[in-house]
Amino acid sequence: MRGLKVARFGVGLAALSLVVAACGGGDDDDTSSPSSSGAAEGGTSGGRVSIEISEPQYLVPTNTNETAGAEVLDALFVGLVDYDDQNKPVLTELASAVDSTDNKTWDIKLNSGWTFHNGEPVTADSFIDAWNYGALNANGQNNNYFFGNIEGYSALNPEDPNPDDDEVPPATAETLSGLKKVSDTEFTVTLAAPDNTFKTSLGYTAFYPMPKAAFSDLKAFEEAPVGNGPFKMNGTWNHKESIAMDAYADYKGTKPKVDGIDFKIYESLETAYNDLQAGNLDVMDSLPPSALANAEQDLGDRYQTFPSSYYQFLGFPTYDEKFQNIKVRQAISLAIDREAISKTVFNNTRVPADAFVNPVVAGYREGACGDFCSFDPARAKQLLAEGGGLSDMTITYNADGGHKEWTTAACNQIQQNLGVKCVATPKPSFDVLLDDLDKSAAKKQSFGPFRLGWIMDYPSMQNYLGPLYSTGGSSNYYGYSNKQFDDLVKKGQTEATEEAAIADWQQAEDILAQEFPVVPLFFGVTNAANSERVTNVSVDAFDRIDKVGISLK
Amino acid sequence: MTDTNVQTGAGGIGDKAAVPGTDPAGELGPVSTQAPLPEERRASLAADAWRELRRSPIFWISSAIIAVYVAIAIAPGLFSGIDAYDTNQCDLSQSLAGPSGEHWFGRDFQGCDVYANIIYGTRNSLAVGFIVVFATFLIGTPLGAVAGFYGGLTDSILSRILDIFNGIPYFLAGLIILVTLDLPSIWGVVLALTLFGWMSTARIARSAVISVRDADFVSAARSLGATRLRILLRHVMPNALAPVIVVTTISLGGVVAAEATYSFLGIGVKPPTISWGLQIADAQQYWGRARHILFFPAGALSLAVLSFILLGEAVRDALDPKLR
Amino acid sequence: MGRYAARRILQMIPVFFGTTFLIFAMVYATPGDPVQRLSGEKRPDPSRAAFLRAEYNLNDPLVVQYGKYMGKLATGDLGKTFNERPVSDLLKQQWPVSVKLTLTGLGIQAFLGLGLGLLAGLRRGGVVDKAVLFTTLLFVSFPAFVMAFILQFFIGVQGRDVFHLPVAGTTQGWPVAYILPGLTTALLGLAYSSRLTRTSIVENLRADYVRTAVAKGLPRRRVVGVHTLRNSLIPVVTFLGTEVGTIFGTAIVTESIFNLNGLGRQIASSARAGEAPVVVGLVTLLVLVYVSATLIVDLLYGVLDPRIRYD
Repeated sequence: MRGLKVARFGVGLAALSLVVAACGGGDDDDTSSPSSSGAAEGGTSGGRVSIEISEPQYLVPTNTNETAGAEVLDALFVGLVDYDDQNKPVLTELASAVDSTDNKTWDIKLNSGWTFHNGEPVTADSFIDAWNYGALNANGQNNNYFFGNIEGYSALNPEDPNPDDDEVPPATAETLSGLKKVSDTEFTVTLAAPDNTFKTSLGYTAFYPMPKAAFSDLKAFEEAPVGNGPFKMNGTWNHKESIAMDAYADYKGTKPKVDGIDFKIYESLETAYNDLQAGNLDVMDSLPPSALANAEQDLGDRYQTFPSSYYQFLGFPTYDEKFQNIKVRQAISLAIDREAISKTVFNNTRVPADAFVNPVVAGYREGACGDFCSFDPARAKQLLAEGGGLSDMTITYNADGGHKEWTTAACNQIQQNLGVKCVATPKPSFDVLLDDLDKSAAKKQSFGPFRLGWIMDYPSMQNYLGPLYSTGGSSNYYGYSNKQFDDLVKKGQTEATEEAAIADWQQAEDILAQEFPVVPLFFGVTNAANSERVTNVSVDAFDRIDKVGISLK
Repeated sequence: MTDTNVQTGAGGIGDKAAVPGTDPAGELGPVSTQAPLPEERRASLAADAWRELRRSPIFWISSAIIAVYVAIAIAPGLFSGIDAYDTNQCDLSQSLAGPSGEHWFGRDFQGCDVYANIIYGTRNSLAVGFIVVFATFLIGTPLGAVAGFYGGLTDSILSRILDIFNGIPYFLAGLIILVTLDLPSIWGVVLALTLFGWMSTARIARSAVISVRDADFVSAARSLGATRLRILLRHVMPNALAPVIVVTTISLGGVVAAEATYSFLGIGVKPPTISWGLQIADAQQYWGRARHILFFPAGALSLAVLSFILLGEAVRDALDPKLR
Repeated sequence: MGRYAARRILQMIPVFFGTTFLIFAMVYATPGDPVQRLSGEKRPDPSRAAFLRAEYNLNDPLVVQYGKYMGKLATGDLGKTFNERPVSDLLKQQWPVSVKLTLTGLGIQAFLGLGLGLLAGLRRGGVVDKAVLFTTLLFVSFPAFVMAFILQFFIGVQGRDVFHLPVAGTTQGWPVAYILPGLTTALLGLAYSSRLTRTSIVENLRADYVRTAVAKGLPRRRVVGVHTLRNSLIPVVTFLGTEVGTIFGTAIVTESIFNLNGLGRQIASSARAGEAPVVVGLVTLLVLVYVSATLIVDLLYGVLDPRIRYD
């Protein structure tokens, strides 16, 4: 009896060690392990790199509106417009012309010979079909509103007569009347109103072309997107674990230096950073706060920073009487030592903001915010007294975004410099924050300032001024409204030259500096780290890693 | 044997609650199987237990530590010169400064005094522990006793309700309760931990009652014509209470640790309330840079938890004659 | 025994309905707007918002939503996440991860718990006994996430050249990626299993049949191995059975920290996103697993202890 049991245990152990051996073997095959690096100076071609991302929400161009999905699609797709080092729009190798004489009708020409990863040629239809799909309300695509200024959009998105029922209102057309095919390599886009930011906006994920195969089974397409870019999928999207892709052999543009990319999906940045230090991960373009202080000394030149389009500020609900006096808002701004928070809390991964738009866009002026974005506790106290004083306040933030440290620090500074009791108050997520804001507004209770952040969709001053400060802007949650400002922003979009547009927008920004509806706080800095085996790592203002340029050492 | 008796083992032994560490119940097997003692011997059992306890150094040490904690919780101002709730003491430029003569435990990320935070956090952390443990005792004991005593359908229904609550992960319950109700101070945490923490007490009470239910002295009371309720309250409960009390003492530590885990998940007590859990959760991300801000509050928590567990162990040893 | 088991299995039906409704109501009650949550800090596009509300019945009252969900469930449709992943896909991918994690944790705990408990029980009152008691209790007094970070940092990062254990289980798979998270859960419950083993060893060593065995002159190894240990296993096994629930419960912490794509992490993120069908489906499964584990433990108890009979 006893002998039998021991024998059974023995078998169990043998089986166990077999499994271990099998797993070990699997690891050896994994070419992304650091041991298999080909060592040479200045970068070699070939090999695979692994890149950290979080789980993308979607992998369909017209539906992807967050950075992880955009990073993956950027490897798989190439659109019409890209951006240079100054974030000015330039044509991609796929496009030969994106022109307009009146900013209303745009003529778009493609280079021929380009194909999707399944061999289907990239034609004008690939763009028109994709954009029509994205614009139709019944498809429920996240990037629907990007097509909003193309003629015929309202027919695809009629007003919902019963917003509370379970029906999407029926569209009166299936295609945008403003999109017209001229030939396989040329099409025209007619806008509802002149807009000089249209070309710039074409660099956004929403405007990639899609192959015919996508529309027959979009769900299958999303699991292994067929694009036209430098990389093609190797296998399918391994949800929450990895996405593997290889260089596309028939790619007509500049070929990437590496043979393939493995996106590794992490939920926690701390874990990813530990993995990078342990040599299991090659690149990450966002470091956990805990790593920032020591990153430079831990990693040396493997730690880099790049400008980011992120802009962080405090919004003041306009209905809130406690903060309606401009001097109170200015006092709060002057009482916050941005430099100190930048240095201690962010380890210089944020820089103090001195304008209402981020420096990465053309038209940004240093110090556009005026004196009130500096740190001056004495003047702050004086202004607060003149503005009627304040006994206590809160700064509300969403707890799921890592904002606790800096809002607490800002509050402590306000307390110390103004003598105003200040508590940084968390809400579990941003939508709950907005919910509570609505409830407070309905009851006319004070809500106080709350944090807001903005990452641009495309590099233009208008992409800050429009959504953030225009009446009814998509992220104008505090209800700021100024007719003169709105008119200037719109006027800028119809100007014939970029200079004239920027002049209008700068005038609009001056209005913000006078009325001070928000307190600008920080501009973002992207921080990236890489393993010892890769080189030529760079990150653009959209937090996208240059996947064509990256190479092994 | 009947259906309910079969479950004596499973229910009484080693049912662990969803709250980590709330229920050390593994130890209760022996208690629930021990021969029920006749009524007249109860007094002398308590006296025996007390005699036993008095001789136990673990009892005295853990009681002394708990006494100090309670004193700190009642009057934190006596133990710290700095008022942790006054943020004027914080100095961002001194962020994460290590221990010094002036700041014994160093400064935290915001440059506030870690020692003061621990002292002022004691009240909230212990309050969560005591209130939750007391509330789960009040809810769990009667439910478990009724299920065990009446058996049959009553028992089946109560046991299955228990299963439902046990199977729901406590963080999920916490997430939803804390986010939905948005109660001030520690009350959200207290409510969540109570609503999803009473099950272990109920389990223990149930199995303890079952083990006493069929004892001779209960049969004797029944044959004398006592009502069922009277039998339950007068004869069964007093003999079944000991293991419940022991578990309750020990589970206090687990509750305090669970409070910290809620903070880690970002749903625990909110500033300006100060608690150990909040400090630990804040500190864990600076682990690589400054150990002291994690070490001191975690130490305070661990010492408290350990003291409560040791006290519970000492009490259990004293109450269990077989282990002498 | 068959009748008893059948009755318990029948009782799972009300448990199933109770759980699904309770969780559905809880997720429904969470404040905030799931559509806004999906759009992050931007306002959701109106067409997109209308589409989502229609697709996920978000405008219906609780009972109607629950009814529609149960109706779909009856046809085998478990629902889908807001980014249109079917729950059945999630299950296929995440269920094995959670099971592997649970079994690894249980295995480590059984091994360490029995070993240490045996050691302590045989040397009761000695230095080993006290040391085991103290260290295991120290482990209990750490919150799970602190324990996870400590193990990850010292073994995974600083000790990587010695242990070669990954800190993130994205690609390595079982068993290496599961050892640290398994150890985390095991250490948290270790105090209970080792104490339990110790107590029943001590009890059984005093039992008449063991005394008889000793008196018969049987070698100590046989006395301990056959007569004592086997009988001491009963409470330990029942305890480990109920540990399943606890390990699943702490999985949210361990899976997040060690980057394992399991059910715990999914439930947490879905609860935060307000994806009622996902949370309900997965949590109900956990409850059923828990109930089954309890049932198996109850039945096993009868097998291990011949004194217990089922009618």
